[in-house]
Formats: sequence, C-alpha cells, structure tokens
Amino acid sequence: MFRTRRNVVAALGLLTIGLTACAPSAPESGAPSGAAQEITLDVWGWRQEDVAAYEKIFKIYEDAHPGVKVKYVPYKSTEYDTILRTGLADANGPDVAQLRSYGLLQPLVAAGSLVPLDGEVKELSAFPETVLDGARGVSDKRVYGVPFAIQTLHVIYNKTLFDKHGIAPPATWQEMTAAFDKLAAADVIPLAATVTDTWMLPIQQEIFGATTYGGQDYLKRMLAGEAKFTDRPWVDSLTTWKGTSKYWGPQFAGTSYTDAQALFTSGKAAMFPGGIWELAAFAKADPHLQLGIFNVPAAPGAAVTKTLVPGFVDGSFGASAKTPDKAAALDLIRWMASAEFGQAFSKELRQISAVPDVAPADPLLAQALTAYTADPSPYVTYAYFSGGTPTAWDLASESLSKFVLGRSTAQEAAKHVQQGVDQWFKPTQ
Amino acid sequence: MFCLPALALYGLFVVVPLVTAFYYGLFRWEGIRQAEFVGLGNYGEVLTRYPLSEEIPTALWHNVLFFVGTMAIQNTIGLGLAVLLYRNPRGKRFFQTVFSLPYLISPLIVGYIWSLLLSPAFGPVNFILRTVGLESWARPWLGEPDTALPVLILVNAWQWVGGPMLIFLAALGGIPRELEEAAAMDGASAFRTFWSVRFPLLMPAVGVITVLTFIGCFNIFDLVYALGGSDGGPGGAMDVLGLLYYRTAFEGGTNAIGESSALAMMIFACVFGVSVVLERFLRRREVTL
Repeated sequence: MFRTRRNVVAALGLLTIGLTACAPSAPESGAPSGAAQEITLDVWGWRQEDVAAYEKIFKIYEDAHPGVKVKYVPYKSTEYDTILRTGLADANGPDVAQLRSYGLLQPLVAAGSLVPLDGEVKELSAFPETVLDGARGVSDKRVYGVPFAIQTLHVIYNKTLFDKHGIAPPATWQEMTAAFDKLAAADVIPLAATVTDTWMLPIQQEIFGATTYGGQDYLKRMLAGEAKFTDRPWVDSLTTWKGTSKYWGPQFAGTSYTDAQALFTSGKAAMFPGGIWELAAFAKADPHLQLGIFNVPAAPGAAVTKTLVPGFVDGSFGASAKTPDKAAALDLIRWMASAEFGQAFSKELRQISAVPDVAPADPLLAQALTAYTADPSPYVTYAYFSGGTPTAWDLASESLSKFVLGRSTAQEAAKHVQQGVDQWFKPTQ
Repeated sequence: MFCLPALALYGLFVVVPLVTAFYYGLFRWEGIRQAEFVGLGNYGEVLTRYPLSEEIPTALWHNVLFFVGTMAIQNTIGLGLAVLLYRNPRGKRFFQTVFSLPYLISPLIVGYIWSLLLSPAFGPVNFILRTVGLESWARPWLGEPDTALPVLILVNAWQWVGGPMLIFLAALGGIPRELEEAAAMDGASAFRTFWSVRFPLLMPAVGVITVLTFIGCFNIFDLVYALGGSDGGPGGAMDVLGLLYYRTAFEGGTNAIGESSALAMMIFACVFGVSVVLERFLRRREVTL
C-alpha cells in the first residue's frame, strides 16, 4: 500500500515535470527594450511562396529605419486563420499580421485582437471607401488594416489560340458566343471552368452575371434592403452564367480547379474565367504562354449596358493589440500605406497594389486596374454578405454547385442564399 | 498501477479535450475570447440555423450510407480474401502484405491520387474505359452527385480492406479443424460448413470489425476532404459529419468555437452511444467454444 502511494506520487511528479517542460517560456520580446536595442517586427502571413519577395520589400523599410528588422513569417494558407487567431492572443504572436478581408476579418475584430487604425494611419484617408470596406469591422465600422492588394476577375485567354482561330477579345455578348462556337467547332474547349471546387463558382457567376444584375447599383439596393438575392436580376444572373456551360467542355461536372488550370495551360482550353492572381500560376506552368484578359460584355437583357469588372480587396496588414512594440508596428503599417510600399509590392509580387495611384509595371495588371477603376463591380457574396454566419459566399458555393449540376433551379439556388443571409443581415438605411 | 501511464496519457489527450469541448460549447465566443454562458444555446443554434439544420440530417444520412456501404463492400471482400488466403496458404504472407499496403499511405494522399486517377480531363480511368470501348462508362466520377458517394465507399474500401482481412484471417486460424472435419464427415457442403460452423465462430471478429467500421465511418474526414473538398463534393453529395464540423470550426463565424464544440459533442454522443449499443448487441450473438 505504502509502496503504491509512493509510486503514485512519483508518477504525478514526473507528469508535472513533463508538463512544466512543455509550458511556453516567457516572451523574449517582453523584455524592456532600450533605445539602442534592435527591434524585430514579426509579420505573419499566409503566402509561403512570397517570402523572398517580402524580404526584398521589407529591406527597403529596414534600410530607411536602422535598428528595425522586419521578418515575414509565413504559414500554410489553409491553417493560417486558426494559427493567427491563437497567435494574436499573446505577445509571442505577430507584431503585424496579414489579415483576410471582409467577413473573414470579423472574428479577429470581435476578439479585440487588432489595433483600430482610424486616426493612427492618416494615409488611409486617400484610399477609396470601397477598398477600405475590405478591412473594416462590420460591428464598429472602424478600419483594422491597410489593404495591400486588389484582386480583379476576368476571362483570361490564350493569345496564341485566339490568333490561330482569328478571334479578338469580344466587344459584345454576341461576339463572345460566336467566338466560343468557333473554338468549339475547332475542338478547342472554349472555357476551362472549375466545377468541383465550389469556391470558384461564385467567382465565375460574377464574371458572367455581373451585368445581368447590375453590379454596384444593385449592391447598394441590396444593402439598403430594397433588393434581394431572390429578386429577378440576381436570379437571372445565375441563368446567364449557366447559359455558358455548353462551352465548359465534355463532362465538366468533374472538372476541378487544378484540372481547369491544366486544361488552360496545356492549350486544350482557350479561356479561363478566374482571378487576376492566376496570371502568376499560369506563367509558372508555362513561361511561353501568351496571355490576355477581357471582361464579359453586357449580356442580353442585362441591367447595365457597359462591361463590368468585378473586384475585391484581397487582404490587409494590421497591428496586433498585444504587440510589445506597438509604435514600431504602427510605423511599419503607415509605410505600407505609402506609394513606396505599393510600388515595391506591385513589382515584386506581380499584383495590383491597393495603395491609390500606384500603377503596376506589368501591362496585364495595368490593364486590369484601369478597367476595374473605370467600371468596378463588387464581389457581392464574398465581400458584402460575409459579415455573419452563414456567409453568402458559403451559401452560394453550395447552392451554385447544385444549380450547375442541374439539381436545383436558379430560383432555388438564390433562395438558399437569401434564406441563410436573412438570419443575420440587417439592411442599412 | 501498471495502467497509470496509459491512464495519464488517456486523461491528457482524450478526457481533457472532451471535457474542454463540452465546457467551450456552453459559452458564446467572440473569436478566441470567451463571452457569456449560454448553456445549451449553441446546441440550439446549431440545430435550428439554416442551412446547418438541414445539413446535419443529410450529413448523418451520408455517414449511415457510408457505413452500410463499407460493411457490405469492404468487410465482405475482406472476409472473402481471408477465406481464400486461409484455404490457400501459398503466398499468404505476400498477399497479406499487398492487401495491407495502402494502410501505410495517408488518406489525404490516397484521396488526392484517386481524384487524379478519376479526373475526367486527364485521369487514366476514363481513358482506359474509352480505349476498351466503354465510352458511356467514362463519367466525371467525383463530379456527379449520384456516383460521388459510391466512389468514396470504394476508394475507402481499397485503402482499408487489409484490416478486416487480417482480423478474419486470425479468427479463422483460431477455429479448431476438428469442427470442420466433423461437419464434412456429417456430409455438410462447403457452403453449409462455412455458414453453420465457421461464420458463427467468427462472430467475435465480426463484432470487433463492425464497431471499428462504425467508428471509422462516422469519424471520416481526411479521405472525403481530399476527394471532394470541405463542401463535400458535387452538391454536397459526400457531405459527412466530419466535414460539417470542419466547416463550422474553421470556416465558421465569430462564434465558431462555441458552435463547433457543441456540434463535436453531439457527434461524440451519437458515435459513443451507438457504439456501446452495437457492441452489446453483437456480444449477445457471439458463440463461444
């Protein structure tokens, strides 16, 4: 008996030692920092492939700010949100973090994990309100990050195939479908459309359906509670988009995102409806691929007669509320709202910077930005109806999948989105 | 006393997370900040909020179909292979290894490989079907709601068929030869011998495999995620409780921790409850020598 008790005590002691050993150590950066001490700012992000580019970008800042080191710490994109939520809870986490936009930002705002930037970063006043929407807390309307990139949605096309078949980027809907027919007749898949990866479906719906429901004007009415997903224009936009499915290639129901990318880069398909971010992946898959972009002209019976360019804010950089170097973190964030950062970002990462008046050097990005600035259209389900649960984006991904597979009507698909959103969305008057 | 290390580990890695999940599920959360106590409010929210309220019964039904399909295909084939190897010991070790090899691969990799094999654009499966003249059989297997779940059952069976085979093989080895010889002397056919002598004695193995299959089928996540993504494939045809939990926890909103913890507790109660009942039921049917 005595022996057993002693063993129990010994085992508990060992367990305690083991657990203590596993406990996190005291934060290094919690030590008082003297003026001469070097500050290292950890910037967390989800772009593992961009580490080298960010090192170059932050080198510019480091050179101008002796004593400050900026380190980009990337995490796997799919795990980033969870890691960030935990990381922001203590001082060992990031000083500055790459933040998701719109609805995905809200849990961090609700948890009080971020520093509100209103009044802290005066450069933000030059950013358009629609761009700041991507970094705004829905509950308090405050801005929590400096937007870094704008993503635009287009039909990306293979120039060589277009030239071979005598096709030019279309100016009207009829020209576009005639081009699709011509390619299909020549055994080229006109559109490499993603179907099984459902997150791509709302993107494609915006690309082909934006003019049918009317883009920005319709969004304003939706936000004011005067229009719904179930109203005719939005329902019709689904039908407009699905009308192109005869050009999606044989057995499109099984086409995944990577399949669609491979169909396009291998030259089996002439066009890929998707985001401007695809350009980098396509250039990597085949550096000789000659690429062009166009936006879908107004569909027959559309609410607007001009071509619309859907786009959204990809993310922003914000400061952790727990950072021990708040002043330095905010200074870095102010720099991220400058033209210097915007230009470096655009050049190194081949993306459209969200900083106003920064023109991308890449001609296709410049074309995308010019087109978006002239006729912008919102990515409605992702950007503006994602502040509650369930998000319109999740609902649309589910219901559009059933819709394109012929398992539901456009009206039913729209009802699924509206019914989900109705549970939390309150119109702003 | 000898159980103490195991008990400590079990407590740390099983009981503590379980109790924590139950505790978390009783509160509303704002991101990672625990807000007010809501009792069973999260449970109510999960069960009544559209579309979760409709997705839960659908996902549960898919888990049931997945379990029934796996029992019918994977475990029947496993039993068949075990009987074949038991009767023909030549090459037994070789085939045991071959059938168990997919065990060593992560379900995520298995799912990814099969999604490539079954791709309608580039996959060899449809290419072979077309080459041998079965053009109409070449389908977007993982893209059609009607074929997605059966494909999931088959791919899962492909990976795990070695498990029931090994258990059945061991159980067959434990049946005394005299019993079969006596049956043969009484004039029983091979079929009759199997069903009247061997199979009743295999019931303990059937019980273990059924419970393990049930737990595996109701906890499935990785393979179905690799084959159909977090939305559960075409039109949600492969949506299962594991994916639903994943979406609630990692693609959920501000109160993701509260709601996903409540959902996890409900899944646990369902799997634990049914497993206990199933185990008791099967134990009663066991025949002892």
